[in-house]
Amino acid sequence: MPAIRPASKRKPPPEGFADIEEDLLIFANKMKDAQNTPTDNIPKHQAKWPIFQISHQRSRYIYELYYEKEAISKQLYEWLLKNGYADAMLIAKWKKNGYEKLCCLRCIQTKETNFNSTCICRVPKAELKEGQDVQCVSCGCRGCATGD
Amino acid sequence: MLRSTYKPSPGALPPLPPGWTEHKAPTGHTYYYNAATKESTYKRPGVTPTPTPPAAASPFGPPSVSPVPGAHPLAAAPMNPSMSYLQHQTVPSINLSDPHVANAFMAQYAQQNQPQSGGRGGFGAGGRGGNQQQQQRPRPQPTDKPKAKVAILGCEPWFLVYTKYGRRFAYNPVKNASYWRIPEKILPAVIELDKERIRRKAAGEPPLEEDPKYQSHEKEEEKKVEAKEAGSGQQGGQEETHDYDSSEYEEVEVTDDEGADHHDDDPEHPSKRQPTTTEDGNQGPIEFTEDDFAAQLAMMEGEGDDCMDVDDPEYDFAAQEENVDEEPLSDTDARLLFRDLLSDLRINPYSPFQKLIDEGDKTGVFSDPRYTVLTSMRARREVYDEWSREAIQALKEARAKEEKKDPRIPYLAFLQEHASPKLYWAEFKRKHRKEDVMKDSPAHHHRTFNDKEREKLYREHINRLKLPQSQLKSDLKKLLESVPLRQLNNRSSVASLPSQILTDIRYISLDAKTRDEFIEGYIQGLVPPPEAGNDAGGEEEDEVLRKAREERRKREKALEERERRVGEEKRRQEKKLAFERARLREEERELQRAMVVDKKGLQSQLAVEGKTEVPAPKEEGEKAE
Repeated sequence: MPAIRPASKRKPPPEGFADIEEDLLIFANKMKDAQNTPTDNIPKHQAKWPIFQISHQRSRYIYELYYEKEAISKQLYEWLLKNGYADAMLIAKWKKNGYEKLCCLRCIQTKETNFNSTCICRVPKAELKEGQDVQCVSCGCRGCATGD
Repeated sequence: MLRSTYKPSPGALPPLPPGWTEHKAPTGHTYYYNAATKESTYKRPGVTPTPTPPAAASPFGPPSVSPVPGAHPLAAAPMNPSMSYLQHQTVPSINLSDPHVANAFMAQYAQQNQPQSGGRGGFGAGGRGGNQQQQQRPRPQPTDKPKAKVAILGCEPWFLVYTKYGRRFAYNPVKNASYWRIPEKILPAVIELDKERIRRKAAGEPPLEEDPKYQSHEKEEEKKVEAKEAGSGQQGGQEETHDYDSSEYEEVEVTDDEGADHHDDDPEHPSKRQPTTTEDGNQGPIEFTEDDFAAQLAMMEGEGDDCMDVDDPEYDFAAQEENVDEEPLSDTDARLLFRDLLSDLRINPYSPFQKLIDEGDKTGVFSDPRYTVLTSMRARREVYDEWSREAIQALKEARAKEEKKDPRIPYLAFLQEHASPKLYWAEFKRKHRKEDVMKDSPAHHHRTFNDKEREKLYREHINRLKLPQSQLKSDLKKLLESVPLRQLNNRSSVASLPSQILTDIRYISLDAKTRDEFIEGYIQGLVPPPEAGNDAGGEEEDEVLRKAREERRKREKALEERERRVGEEKRRQEKKLAFERARLREEERELQRAMVVDKKGLQSQLAVEGKTEVPAPKEEGEKAE
């Protein structure tokens, strides 16, 4: 087990972290709240939805800061990934064609489904029945196909 | 198969006599003014009074007036019945029994008929020979409204609803949807229905509306009260003994045998209100413009509420407010306004968009009128992303600029305090290695301010310390003189000198106390700063700034203008609404009066019916008496 270093000896985060610290803190608090909410009175499969959603939002936030707004440095971005502020695997998918809005990795895990298919949220709105309102089982996504 | 037996009605307004001009009063109705005699009247001055329609004092425009499509939907002049009759007259006599022909035909005529097409809005006293009170009031705008309803056999929830002006639409009470164009699936049944209608007419049987077979709902008494209960809905139209029986698949053709009375048949059936068609605006023919939809929806909305409760004070304005957004603001202006909002409220550009929305109440974003210039969340998000990217870049640039001048100043100040000729650079460096100014801080790692530079400055400083005071003073004076008047003048203070001085080695050569006194004296001998904009580079910058400011002012003015118009429109709506409500109440009172049946109730009814044949103005006169 690695030694836990005191805060004073810890290496400071890269430059620019101060700019986004506050927003990351908000995400962290949201996540804590979501984790501590009792899940007795909701269906079992829905218990982890908020966790997935907050995690997605935070990853998206960092992804946009680095790739779209170019607001943070590469060092900071890597530091954030290393320290678990964003999901690197999910971001890796977002860079691929057709996965630009992917909600979570579980939704494209075809091996976990009965018919070896992706989640319903991956189906474009145009191909769903008219007026069909979907919400996927794994993360509560309402549709994350690129064309929507 | 069908003959158009419609007789030309006296609806066409005669041209005004010379000297008279037509105007519109603020209340919305038309009056006539003679500039020569300085006379004004609500009555249309005509050569012969007889051909004037019953609503002589009504706000009906001349036939040439047609609603302007661009105008505000509710401000648009309503269609006038006589005009629509004119149109009916001008319909060429093609056989409209074929639905395809009829529909194609309708498509052409829809444009002209639109504004009233959805509008069963008003209580529709359009052709009604009003009583006295009604003549004092501004006349209600004529609007089409449902008159009779026939269940379509075989297509269960569907009804065929006939309107006052002889048009008709399919209505599905289950889905609460109605269509002017008969949907394909019920078309055969409707054709069947029309055949039946013609057959009955030929055989002299009572029309369909009177046949219980075609009334799928129980007939309710023609009571206003019940009509108002929105849910109860379906009124039997059994006493609709009127004449639109043979009008074909769309409303254009009016073929009736009793011709003259078809615009006057309302007094006999005063309670024809069917709480149907609440949403048919959406499914209307495609030729409808947005304005028409809005107008129709607003009317429906108003109608619906009136049905619920006539005196409901909490009338819902929401739908009508939506009508008001004719934007004087261009798209780019709207975007820029939204960006101004973001900049003004000091939103952190690093924050996610979601935070802006979550904390919109706290930061005051939602309460700002500029928030609504963009109408969709998607557009807002787009602009936000764009703005944040640019704001972050600007922030970065500003920071970089700040850092550029920074590292030297504290170092020089440190040198002045601690450097002494007794120490070599290596010793000095070792002695103060823990000081911040001696370290390459990560914040400055990209700058070329390193140990070599420090050493150079240190050596130079030590060498200068050996020079005589007078030499140092003259050097400092030279330095001060080299600074442009713009940056250094009699308003500057010793504490806030320009960085050009602070980063120069000559600045720290003198002892701090004597130096400050010397500079103080020098500054006092200077002249005031030149007027802004003398410098060429500065001027350019000012120009840019001024332009930006001007643009912004323009945008804000446009926004204000828009707000003002919205407010105005709202006020107008309210006024109109109040007026409509008053009229409705009036109608109700009239209804109640009509409902009171005395002994000769039937007689009087018959008498009135007999009189519908005579020209309208006379009847009006009678009523007034």
